[in-house]
Amino acid sequence: MSEAAVVPDQFLAWAEKLTNFSKAVTTKVPIAQTPKELVWTLNKAKLYRYIPVVPAEKRHPIPLILVFALMNRPYILDLRPGHSFVEFIVKQGYDLYLLDWGSPGPEDKHLKFDDYTLDYMPRAIRKMKAIAGAEEFSMLGWCIGAILATVYAALRADDGLRNLILLTAPLDFSNKESITFARWVDERYFDVDKVLAATGNMPGEMIDYGARALKPVDNYVLNYLKLWDNLNNPQVVEAWRAMNTWVTDNVPLAGGAFRQLVVDLYRNDRLMRGEWIIRGERVDLSKIRANLLTVIAETDHITPPCQSEAVMSKVRSKDKELFRVRGGHIGIMAGSGADRVTWPHINGWLGRRSQ
Amino acid sequence: MADERAPNGKDYDPQGAFREVRDNYLDAWARTMVEAVNSEAYAKATGTMLDAYLTASSPFRDALEKTMLQALHQLSMPSRADFVSMAERLTNVEMKLDDIDAKLDEVAKSMRPASPPRAHRRAARRNRKGAR
Repeated sequence: MSEAAVVPDQFLAWAEKLTNFSKAVTTKVPIAQTPKELVWTLNKAKLYRYIPVVPAEKRHPIPLILVFALMNRPYILDLRPGHSFVEFIVKQGYDLYLLDWGSPGPEDKHLKFDDYTLDYMPRAIRKMKAIAGAEEFSMLGWCIGAILATVYAALRADDGLRNLILLTAPLDFSNKESITFARWVDERYFDVDKVLAATGNMPGEMIDYGARALKPVDNYVLNYLKLWDNLNNPQVVEAWRAMNTWVTDNVPLAGGAFRQLVVDLYRNDRLMRGEWIIRGERVDLSKIRANLLTVIAETDHITPPCQSEAVMSKVRSKDKELFRVRGGHIGIMAGSGADRVTWPHINGWLGRRSQ
Repeated sequence: MADERAPNGKDYDPQGAFREVRDNYLDAWARTMVEAVNSEAYAKATGTMLDAYLTASSPFRDALEKTMLQALHQLSMPSRADFVSMAERLTNVEMKLDDIDAKLDEVAKSMRPASPPRAHRRAARRNRKGAR
């Protein structure tokens, strides 16, 4: 092969690689493909029921509801076929429901944890119980969804909650040195009311920036380098694109809820100190009696492990377990090892308690 | 072209050494940046920048809002506040409908013939199968 022919070949190969890279970064892939039906709505919130694939007589009688964070799309739980917690759990014979909070508009800027836990969740859960024909249920909350699930479990302890699963739950804000977000929203540096007066809701882009800025080189450089180095590996590219589709699909956080998150939790640690008042009711964690599984990601930089540990000693549950997984905030449920470690553990724990 | 192999028997990667240096450098940079963003100085700097932006943009935002409000009023068009008020009323109506739905579910449940809980039914079915 002549020298003159080699140079254009290499150039063409680079050009093709660049095109593939650009396509992977700028296009979205189909996600959340597990079949489901819409069974309830209120404002932007929607309750979905996943179509069961196991015959009714072989299914667990206790339905399971997934409660995800307010500021991200919940389809991270159902990212892509063959790599979906939802798909996995439906195949294990659970009657599975997903509470999708939707995207708050300017009209929702006053929504608070009070509204989510005492208006939306009880109504969605009532509907789920009516459809499932069950008096008891299990609930899995992830990240801010775990705060909502915990508050609900404490305020509505007699509502039939049998099993509570908390994933990377930011509940304890006492160790400010270990929580980067706590430093950023310190009242000396961050005027939450001024931000919300300008924006109404906390914009998704700002939340996304905050999450990425915790590990700036990883998120803004290494993430793309990983894609570049693996462009010849279709499996890695598909996984990367699915995750990128989710990461770039930002949702604003209702202004009222954001203010509570900053002032009541990050600054004053009111939940763990037993001083958090939700619509006139004090959130008393010792009222939680449901079986409890807390899953901690050991290298979580968004919710450091110290934020999820203390709840174990506060609840009254007799049956409780703290499960540590090697991985990050998202990786423990959506990473490549999730289907070998976290999912089977949750299924094993829940299955024994869902008869 | 001859098949080149590294001393360890693996395919020779001419860019391997470069990649190793690059990765080591990036790892060190990543660790440094994590420490940097976790500092008081970073929190103070970002807070100051955000505050300056909000202060500087506030008069423009207010002026734009007033102008837009007047323009919409002149054109007899609903403003954002009107839509917000409408959306809040719709949510209230949705809640009332949900209350009615809950009551209807209760009525339907009370009219259904009493049946043992599902778990008991399953156990009974299993026993019947065992007896066979």
